[in-house]
Amino acid sequence: MNARARIRRFIVESFFVDVFSDEESFLRNSIIDSLGMLELVAFLEKEYGIKIADTELIPENLDSLARVCAFVERKQLAGTTAA
Amino acid sequence: MCGIAGFTLSFGLSPEERRARFGHRLRSMAASLKHRGPDAQTALLLDGMALGHARLSIVDLAGGAQPIRDPATGVTIVFNGEIFNYLELRKRSRYRFRTRSDTEVILACYLERGIDCVLDFIGQFAFAIYDPRIRTLWLARDRVGILPLHYTESAEGFAFASEAKALFAGGWRTPALDARGVKQTLQLWSPVPPRTNFEGVSQLAPGSVARWSNGRFETWRYWEPDLGVEPRAGLEAAKAEEELGVLLEDAVGLRLRADVPVAAYLSGGLDSSLLCGIAQSQLGGSLTTFSVGFAEGDFDERAFQEDVAGRLATRHHSVLVTGREIGGLLPAVVRQAEQILLRSAPAPLLRLSALVRACKTKVVITGEGSDEIFLGYDLYRETRVREFWARRPDSKMRPALLRRLYPYLPMSRQGHELLQQFFAIGLEDPTSPAFSHLPRWAASGRILRFFSRSFAERTADEDPVASVLASLPAKLRGWRLQARAQYLEMQTLLAGYLLSAQGDRMLMGNSVEGRFPFLDHRLVEFAAALPERLKLRGLAEKWILKRYAARWVPKAILERKKFPYRAPIAAALTGPEAPAWTRELLSREAARKVGVFDEEKVEKLVAKLSARGGVASEADSQAVIAVATTHLLADQLLPPAPVPMHEVEAVDLEAT
Repeated sequence: MNARARIRRFIVESFFVDVFSDEESFLRNSIIDSLGMLELVAFLEKEYGIKIADTELIPENLDSLARVCAFVERKQLAGTTAA
Repeated sequence: MCGIAGFTLSFGLSPEERRARFGHRLRSMAASLKHRGPDAQTALLLDGMALGHARLSIVDLAGGAQPIRDPATGVTIVFNGEIFNYLELRKRSRYRFRTRSDTEVILACYLERGIDCVLDFIGQFAFAIYDPRIRTLWLARDRVGILPLHYTESAEGFAFASEAKALFAGGWRTPALDARGVKQTLQLWSPVPPRTNFEGVSQLAPGSVARWSNGRFETWRYWEPDLGVEPRAGLEAAKAEEELGVLLEDAVGLRLRADVPVAAYLSGGLDSSLLCGIAQSQLGGSLTTFSVGFAEGDFDERAFQEDVAGRLATRHHSVLVTGREIGGLLPAVVRQAEQILLRSAPAPLLRLSALVRACKTKVVITGEGSDEIFLGYDLYRETRVREFWARRPDSKMRPALLRRLYPYLPMSRQGHELLQQFFAIGLEDPTSPAFSHLPRWAASGRILRFFSRSFAERTADEDPVASVLASLPAKLRGWRLQARAQYLEMQTLLAGYLLSAQGDRMLMGNSVEGRFPFLDHRLVEFAAALPERLKLRGLAEKWILKRYAARWVPKAILERKKFPYRAPIAAALTGPEAPAWTRELLSREAARKVGVFDEEKVEKLVAKLSARGGVASEADSQAVIAVATTHLLADQLLPPAPVPMHEVEAVDLEAT
């Protein structure tokens, strides 16, 4: 399963939402509440072995499936480069 | 307070025939309301009308028995509530009174002025008057909806009662969930009147009267909070404070009138502390206070309660409630509330009224309404910030103010910018009547995604937000933003939840009457006409009330951060200590049986919460209490559950 599908499944299972597009804002559309965002962050950290700083908890990184996927990709890439 | 019930029947029957055909039905209805009136239950069969009453004696203990009938005209009343200015009205009246009760004062006022007499009443009431001269039944409910009044129409006639269970007890309806009412409650915290959670059972809207005559039912509003009134320009703070003091002290004084002792609830916040201070001074030091404390520290306010009680030297009683007990209370809570809940907060209040009753007290004054009329809720501050932000949606600084609003929510690691996204819901249209409530309704609306496929399809054309907006008066569109927010708050949260499911029902569940000085309509009207800067100054809420309260309330209480009354829940239902029956209540089978929620989603939600020992986000907490109370509503009140009932034989029956 690719990252996009895996994250989507996590959101469906954890937040009980059926249909949402890759671009939809999680928060503005009440797909995930603000505390739920922390569940998402914990999942990403564990699943992808990344560390997310508090300063990275911004809508640009996390507020849609497409943004989350791009963010994870960037983080992983940065991790590889650093190593 | 009391319980009332009644129904129409055919004319021209002999008393014996009426007894035989309708006696049991009427007595069953009165008996089912015994918790509202344990002191006496009576049933009266008139020509064409049945009237039942359950009495909690508070005023004129000896002479206040109901129904009361005017001998000259035959006009008869059953009444639940209090008319606090009854002594003044009585003095003005030329009626020849035979009792000292406020019930007879309503009767006299009706005979002198007709149903418009409600406009003269300062009080909380739900009553029915049968006027045989015009074969008309009148119903009336107090201005803000402190007391409940339900009704149903069927081929057999028209029936009314304080609570839906009396309509079930009288066989007027077989209890079934009202799909639209359920959906509205899940998103808005309350159904939109006249709808309730039960099919075919309606409620009279607050501030309304109704007439049943000749097989025709009509209802209209006689009062509405006019929040669009032009603020009193140039009103000085000192003058406003003085007027506020005079009104509030009078409102408290009127509510201390009773032939039994009046005690008070003390939450440890500003409003109840203020009322206790005033009441203690008026009673000359004999006030008794009651508080609820929580074993879970996050919710507990005992330190503040004890501080205030100590300083005011009240006789203080308190009860400590644990999350586990809250779970245990929930079935009784739902049975009393007759409504789906999104919070567990009513449960501790049912426990508290039991303590009051155990202390042989029948009446308490309580602080509801202050936040609505003086702009105390965070919702108003949130609305102010969101409006400010909406004027410059690109601003980074403006939404940062939101950070100051919710310091008590557990969000230490939360990205503030993420949080702001949520409050941006509806930002594009600050003129929308729903602007203030869209973030809340979006959050509670998340529960709708738990619906089973069939329930979702059944209610596809019900949009709760559209329904509540359609119920608003047209003039509201021209009101200021905060006034619109306030109106919505008074209709949905206050009348539909705080005063009912969390108020009257939890008090009456243990036969205790609540009295609400802040909801004295003179005070509501006074507050509406105050310039907004005297209520919400910048982001400082209830500004004028705090200024006045300084003479009554310790500084520590005045300066306390606002602390919303909440109670724990998720752990009580899904944690390791949850009682065994909760597993059944939240099972796939229960979901399948009730049919509202999707079995698989309910199972996943419970699994998610159990895995965390019941530690839950706001959204998941709200979801689990919504599912639990929906299932309990079905389990406790729908067939095959028996209708909650007391001894029918104890109801005194008369036919004349």
